[in-house]
Amino acid sequence: MSDKPTFSIDLDSLKTRRKDTTPESQGRVDAAGEQHGFVNREPNRKRGRQPSPRVGQVHAKVMPNVADEIADEAKRRGVQQGVIIEEAWVLYKNR
Amino acid sequence: MPIVTVASPKGGAGKSTASIILATELAHAGAEVTILDCDPNRSISIWADRGTLPPRINVRSDVGESEIVKTLKQQDADGRVVIVDLEGVASRLVSRAISQADLVLTPMRATTLDATIGVRALALIEEEEEALGRAIRHAVVFTMTRAIKSKQHTAIEKSLRGQGVDIITPPLMERAAFSALFEFGGDLRTMPVQGKMEPAAENASAFAQAVYNRLVGKGL
Repeated sequence: MSDKPTFSIDLDSLKTRRKDTTPESQGRVDAAGEQHGFVNREPNRKRGRQPSPRVGQVHAKVMPNVADEIADEAKRRGVQQGVIIEEAWVLYKNR
Repeated sequence: MPIVTVASPKGGAGKSTASIILATELAHAGAEVTILDCDPNRSISIWADRGTLPPRINVRSDVGESEIVKTLKQQDADGRVVIVDLEGVASRLVSRAISQADLVLTPMRATTLDATIGVRALALIEEEEEALGRAIRHAVVFTMTRAIKSKQHTAIEKSLRGQGVDIITPPLMERAAFSALFEFGGDLRTMPVQGKMEPAAENASAFAQAVYNRLVGKGL
């Protein structure tokens, strides 16, 4: 098979042509697309708070008075409730 | 920078194969070519990872509907061609890519189903021309055709021509070498022999030349 191109390209003829990229024109394009069923098909992002890469999460249900006390203590010290649970876990491990 | 958007809402019509053949042949003839892989199936990226990319070709993957217009604007440069390969689906990404095109290429197998679904892309182009107030050049290329034209092929071609649709000749024939691009990567010159290489290369080159002529508006 010959390695020589069967046609040559005139690079000067490959010119940039200005296209309308304004939000208004894109809105018209999207509307035209929707009329023909060309709609948004990208997967929706997962709703809700994304998992933190830094901390983990426990799913503890406790009695209402314990929940209130943890919430109050965290509020008083100005820390997250998780800090109280972390300290409680350290005490549990060292018991 | 001419932008060629390869679009059909029909899957399996030969969009990615046509994109690779067009890119590799234009690059072989001297053009700088960028392929935007906008298909979540990542067919172009699979091809790119299979072997060494031919000279003057680069590939960008994972371009979604929110980035397509901006990405095409960033690629803007004289003397190069951008080819946008899209998923076979009717999506907003497709309509946005069409809005930025200098030429929309709709690959179509010569079957009634492909033609019926493929025509939806042509209807959208007409609508976008009206919305943007500019003509968007478009053409159909038949893919996976056989040496002897079927009656169905003849009838579909006649019907499309009757509606004023531009049809690229030659069509892309069914060739082992074309499908093997996804096995070996690279281009028709670098892959091991697959069937009849010489006719496959001639077909690919003539197809790319027909597209190039449309991009520069000559020999039509």
